[in-house]
Amino acid sequence: MLNDIRFAFRLLFKSPGFTLVAIAALALSVGANTAIFSAVNSLLLRPLPVEDIDRLVYSIALREGFDPFGSSLIEYAAYRDRSHSFVSSGVAAQRSFNLTGHDDPERVRGATVMATYLTTLGVKPALGRTFTADENLPGGPAVTLIGYEFWQRHYGGRVGVLGEPLNLEGRSYNIVGVMPRGFDLPGAAEVWLPFQANIDSLPLVEQAASNYEIAARLKPGVALKQADAELKAIARQLEGEYPEFRHGWSVKVISLRQQLLGDLEGRVHKALFALMGGVGFLLLICCANVANLQLARGFGRERELALRRALGASRGRLVRQLFTESMLLAVLGGISGLLLAYWLVPALAMLNPIQGISFAAFLRHFEIDGRVLSFALVVSLVTGVIFGLLPALKGAGTHELMLRIKQGDQRSGGAASRQWLNSLIVAEIAIAMTLLVSGGLIVQSFQRLQHVDLGFNPENLLTLKMILPESKYSEYRQRVAFNDQMLDRIKNLSGVVSAGTTTNIPLEREITYDARFEVEGRVPSNPNEVLITSHRIVSPDYLKTLDATLMSGRFIDGNDRAGNLPVVVISEELARQAWPGQNPLGKRLKRVRAGQTFPSMTVVGVVKNVKEDLFNYRINRPVWYVPYAQVENSFPVNLIVRAKGNPTFLTTAVREAIRAIDPDQPVSDVMTMNTNLSDVLVTERFSAVLMAALAASGLLLASIGLYGVMAYSVSQRTSEIGVRVALGAQPRHVFQLIMGHGMKLTLLGVTIGLLAAWSATRLLVSLLFELSACDATTFSAITLLLGFVGLVACYLPARSAMHLDPVEALRYE
Amino acid sequence: MIRLHNVERSYPLGRGQLFYVLRDIDLDISQGDFVSVMGPSGAGKSTLLHILGMHDHGWTGEYFFDETATHHLKAKERASLRNEKIGFVFQQYHLLDDLTVYENLDIPLSYRHYSKSERTALVGDALDRFQIVGKKDLYPRQLSGGQQQLVGVARAIIAQPKLLLADEPTGNLHSSQGEEIMKLFRKLNEEGMTIVQVTHSEKNASYGKRIVQLRDGWIV
Ligand SMILES: Nc1ncnc2c1ncn2[C@@H]1O[C@H](COP(=O)(O)OP(=O)(O)O)[C@@H](O)[C@H]1O
Ligand SMILES: [Mg+2]
Repeated sequence: MLNDIRFAFRLLFKSPGFTLVAIAALALSVGANTAIFSAVNSLLLRPLPVEDIDRLVYSIALREGFDPFGSSLIEYAAYRDRSHSFVSSGVAAQRSFNLTGHDDPERVRGATVMATYLTTLGVKPALGRTFTADENLPGGPAVTLIGYEFWQRHYGGRVGVLGEPLNLEGRSYNIVGVMPRGFDLPGAAEVWLPFQANIDSLPLVEQAASNYEIAARLKPGVALKQADAELKAIARQLEGEYPEFRHGWSVKVISLRQQLLGDLEGRVHKALFALMGGVGFLLLICCANVANLQLARGFGRERELALRRALGASRGRLVRQLFTESMLLAVLGGISGLLLAYWLVPALAMLNPIQGISFAAFLRHFEIDGRVLSFALVVSLVTGVIFGLLPALKGAGTHELMLRIKQGDQRSGGAASRQWLNSLIVAEIAIAMTLLVSGGLIVQSFQRLQHVDLGFNPENLLTLKMILPESKYSEYRQRVAFNDQMLDRIKNLSGVVSAGTTTNIPLEREITYDARFEVEGRVPSNPNEVLITSHRIVSPDYLKTLDATLMSGRFIDGNDRAGNLPVVVISEELARQAWPGQNPLGKRLKRVRAGQTFPSMTVVGVVKNVKEDLFNYRINRPVWYVPYAQVENSFPVNLIVRAKGNPTFLTTAVREAIRAIDPDQPVSDVMTMNTNLSDVLVTERFSAVLMAALAASGLLLASIGLYGVMAYSVSQRTSEIGVRVALGAQPRHVFQLIMGHGMKLTLLGVTIGLLAAWSATRLLVSLLFELSACDATTFSAITLLLGFVGLVACYLPARSAMHLDPVEALRYE
Repeated sequence: MIRLHNVERSYPLGRGQLFYVLRDIDLDISQGDFVSVMGPSGAGKSTLLHILGMHDHGWTGEYFFDETATHHLKAKERASLRNEKIGFVFQQYHLLDDLTVYENLDIPLSYRHYSKSERTALVGDALDRFQIVGKKDLYPRQLSGGQQQLVGVARAIIAQPKLLLADEPTGNLHSSQGEEIMKLFRKLNEEGMTIVQVTHSEKNASYGKRIVQLRDGWIV
């Protein structure tokens, strides 16, 4: 064995060209496989700082069966009391708090949680305890939990922090526990307050608000599907029981892990599977390539091998020898691949494929852990077996021994063995074709998504967020005054084109506000019809600042104040749903909410659809804009500033303008609109970039493979070519002979690849956007591309064949 | 028909030295001649034949073919002259393994300007003439050595050359099979074909009209 290895090493060193090409190809595919697997591992497999994550589920309220919302307490109570699928469940609501008493005022992300929310997740505090049932009761003690990183940052990890006060929103809370490192559910919470309410005694309107997140742990043996079916049935009961609140709502249960990825539609899973498929294909191409190299080299060694057999080596012994060589190659390739992966993995993590913000320390830092290492090892060994077995068996074959010895390398590689090379290269081309078509479709979908009309101009926009504390701005006119003053100041800054405020920044990754509405004078054709719109409360210049397109009427202006006619600006989609085929200007509609009445609002303007909602990026959802001055609310104030040039240059000036009005007012999430947007298509960008890279690598490997096979075939056919020239073949005949052979292989590969791609791309349908899985343009473009690459790969060998000297070729006579 | 004057062929030995394979060759071969080139291994016989066959052009001196100064021709012109006038038979037969007998015969025609029907007719004639019609769909490996060389000769003359060059055509054959081929050569020569063959056997040489002896690159 040791001898085999030593000899194998010597052989690899003897043909460094072959060895380098083979190791490079192996490194590329093992590296790609390992890197993608590390992403899969980090996102889907690795344990997270909650107990047994894979039994935890999350429920999404769905309106009209597709439009996702947070959950309500009505649902929570019903699921808790009626369902039999769960061991336990709990709710939490994301909030943020103004933190004072520590240096500068700071906005911190936090949550109010039920004690059972934390026990359901099975989170164990790093210090102290979590909430007790008593602390969940109305009027319970003012206690708080803090996050591990928050503890490190603000208290330097001091144990004595327990019992100390924490000042949130102007109120003091007693710290009773520190959460474990990395734990930040829901959202990216750093402080937790107990949810102190008795659900049944809350007003129905509050129970119905969809601001909550439900987490539940499945009972042993209960599958997610069963739980989903059960909750759907309960949601149907609720539709009947609370028609005014729950009509048209259903529910979908997904795994908590999927929710953490921010992946309500399961696209991350699909993208990761597509990528795993892609790297798998790349690996196959690589195996075929190295097998071909090995086979070709094996033919050249037939003499050596025949001699070894003549000297008494058994067939098994030769297979072992050849196989050892392949495995050695695989191990060297695997090690190089792993080194490549160490370099690729951080790059993949930077390309971050997920929208979720929780557990960032885990989900956004891909690492090569034991599982990934074992994967790389297994992949390398399997690769070695795949590409090594065939050449070993062929090489040690039982062919006419003495003939081989006598003929030397004259006629090495009979027609049958050549057939193997040809088949492998055809397979390689077919796989590359599949990879290229899939990559092409995914990249194009991404491009289309990127060029979706946003309805506004994202360039040169600066955005930031504020929450005006109730304690300080208890009266609505104070809030309006703050708004007006701030906008006044900011508009007058140099470099500012315009500025406005809204309640949600377009496409931001936050809870967004919606409203049900009624159209005046319209009898719903379907009694189940529920009209819902994105609800944005904006300052006069907001739409102008966004650079939204006014289709008719006017934008909201400074005269739309309290006491004047309540007005609304609607999107085209809302107009289409409310008044199909009519002019909506002057028509009236109003918001509806049980237990409250809202004034009718007159439509004064229609704007082109604006992509407001992240989760509805692929469709148009109705939006309306109502004047901040006419609608009392305690929603966040989000500032949008349009700059003349680079918006980041305005950051300091804008912050100062706000501080000048209220020095205690924290601002957060200061960023450009483009930064915000770059988060929207993360999964799509991730798969597009990687699929493109994989497809390009596949193409490269396949063309190197084709080149290798053609070059080998020319070297092998030297004497045949010499004979042909001696019989009168002109250089162009020889050229055609070789090109013909290469193109025949290419076309066969492309044809099989077309069929394979046609069936493979079916699996990608849900990842595609406005693109058919059998898009003719992509298929033909890739066919042409491969045909062209095939031509190039065959050209050099064909040229060298053309210049073969017949005397040289026939010299052994 | 052929006149060689002061033809020399050398290969670099390294360090500026030359190794002469052929030296000062003067040779006249007239139309209808049947020359046997003889000499020990390494004497330069094959080299001479490749020069005659215009496969090689790394030589110096003069080579007139039918008054054409081939040493002044461009590669392309020489190739087309060769295609028109010369056929080649190899010791190893060199039939193309993946082609049938019929297709092997067709190859030289496919490289020349023959129409489809001319090709069919010529291949048909050759199959007839060499009595191998029954073998036309067989592959070379299904034939005996003698039969393969028969096809080799048929292939060499199918495009109706004036000069047939044969490098040890019977080297791989039993003596009886060799005799067949030699008789065939004599017949072709009687019909007007000029033939230059390389051979080691006095007996084969006796089929020819004269013998050229080569030794260490010199004609002796
Ligand atoms: N391409 C070449 N490079 C160097 N030496 C060569 C080459 N071709 C032939 N020779 C040498 O020329 C000599 C004559 O070769 P050849 O004509 O094949 O001899 P033979 O008379 O046996 O047919 C031999 O010594 C051979 O080694
Ligand atoms: Mg010779």
